[in-house]
Amino acid sequence: MIASQDVFAIGNQELKDTLTTVTTPEESHSAAHLPSAFMVLPFIVLLAMIATGPLFYHHFWEKNYPIIAILLGLVTVFYYLYFLNDTHSLLHTAAEYLSFIALLSSLFVASGGILIRVDRKSTPWLNAGILLFGSVIANIIGTTGASMLLIRPFIKINKNRIKPYHIVFFIFLVSNIGGALTPIGDPPLFLGFLRGVEFFWVIQHVWYIWLPTILVVTAIFIFIDSRDVSSSETETKYTGKIEFKGMKNVLFLLIIVISVFIDPAVISWVPSLSPLPIGIREIIMFSMVVISYRSADEYILKANEFNFEPIREVAYLFVGIFATMIPALQLISHEANVLGDKLNPGIFYWATGVLSSFLDNAPTYLNFLSAEMGKFGMNVNIPAEVLRFEQLHPIYLSAISVAAVFFGAMTYIGNGPNFMVKSISERSGIKMPSFFGYMIKYSIPILIPIFTIVWLVFYFQKG
Amino acid sequence: MKSINEVLKEKKSGLYFGNRVLLPFTCHILKLNIENDLITDFSPSCKGVHVSENPDFMEIYFYDYKDLGDVITKYEAIKIIVVEKGKDIFNSDNYIKLALHPEENNQLRIEQLGENQIFIV
Repeated sequence: MIASQDVFAIGNQELKDTLTTVTTPEESHSAAHLPSAFMVLPFIVLLAMIATGPLFYHHFWEKNYPIIAILLGLVTVFYYLYFLNDTHSLLHTAAEYLSFIALLSSLFVASGGILIRVDRKSTPWLNAGILLFGSVIANIIGTTGASMLLIRPFIKINKNRIKPYHIVFFIFLVSNIGGALTPIGDPPLFLGFLRGVEFFWVIQHVWYIWLPTILVVTAIFIFIDSRDVSSSETETKYTGKIEFKGMKNVLFLLIIVISVFIDPAVISWVPSLSPLPIGIREIIMFSMVVISYRSADEYILKANEFNFEPIREVAYLFVGIFATMIPALQLISHEANVLGDKLNPGIFYWATGVLSSFLDNAPTYLNFLSAEMGKFGMNVNIPAEVLRFEQLHPIYLSAISVAAVFFGAMTYIGNGPNFMVKSISERSGIKMPSFFGYMIKYSIPILIPIFTIVWLVFYFQKG
Repeated sequence: MKSINEVLKEKKSGLYFGNRVLLPFTCHILKLNIENDLITDFSPSCKGVHVSENPDFMEIYFYDYKDLGDVITKYEAIKIIVVEKGKDIFNSDNYIKLALHPEENNQLRIEQLGENQIFIV
């Protein structure tokens, strides 16, 4: 097994040593070293604007979100530099951000150069097969990559009878729940991996929750789709062919996935690039962005209506999120340590889930990982302690991993690909439900009962 | 005045100036997509878009956008579903799906949507 507990976001040993020696749990929990509670405000403001901007003032938001994210991030940077004299937290966060954005951007661009055409009649079983396939490959190319790759063929297959529920179940399974098995699957799990959670820990501890959940959601889809298909028979003839174009980009995707493990702490001969805040892994990923875009076929990019805006948005917003969440992480960890016994896996499951529904699930996961570790007097900034935590308290880590990924499907803003899929669907002429329509008609009645059963079976009165 | 099919056959371009599009034909517009906006309301009370019909051409104003050249990137397009004036609007065989691409010198390339570009009626 890959010793990912030693993998640092930046992949350089020197910074790791510096961080582990500079910050100790005692220090991190000492009130004297804590940031002011007011410093959580930029984080709250940014998350609130991310949640409300695209819905209530989207033209203002589209134009100004880069400035807003950077300015709010700079408030925190300034505070840490001049009031706390803490450059280590900032350096560590910068390195983590670069790793995060390298993975997301490379998966996004490489999958944008692939075109799948399925000339088959739409049936509930074919649709369910695509949703299951998407749920599995989401763990290899990420929920973003799988959504990009499959949403257009999925819409095209169903073009004679497409309804909003088709897209909604696609968001449930491919864009969210499917990606719960590996750190590549969904951004929260990748952040956990960067902090020191072993790469294969998630699949070992989550697969038996993932599998029944996926099957139940798919079964509900088949039930709804079977009732709909009989009323919309068409006389269109189909060749039955499945075409796959842009194979070289599949190779690029493979390189990106392999590069996740290229780190000096995992493979000894991989050189460290210290003091640079990036490693060989990030250089490979960023190279794949350039190479896969430059070498992609024009007609595939045109067919996919490829543009950089979705990933540009993620890049800007996460500059702000990563910076502003530094004080939030430290304060939550401290508070959880104080509250101690009152917090159990069930509480963490619901708290992570509810917040992941409305806030971005990646920072939410990290905040609750910090809180859980704080409860046991451990520090999320120390990979060795993250490893110890995953071994001693797996049910706690499982609760927030499952909740952060699953509940991302509850709203359009719960996870990055949700809005992307909604946008592609609307650009394809499908009138999607409103923000509240999505929740009231679909996510609350379908997902909440399933997630409640997950809680009752796996987390209720445990830990 | 040219028909839509003649415009497509002759590869005749339209024009755009800022948020204003000029199409070298007249038609009934059924549905329009620009960026993430899916527009089906073309009544005078619609705030986002205004359609103006002239004897030989049509104008569309997009009030939520300043310059379409900045908004629509290389592989994107404004997508519309239209019906030629005089043809039966209730017969879906008459529906024509078009992609409008803002280009240099205020030119607006008009082409029929390709088989890979999806725009469902």
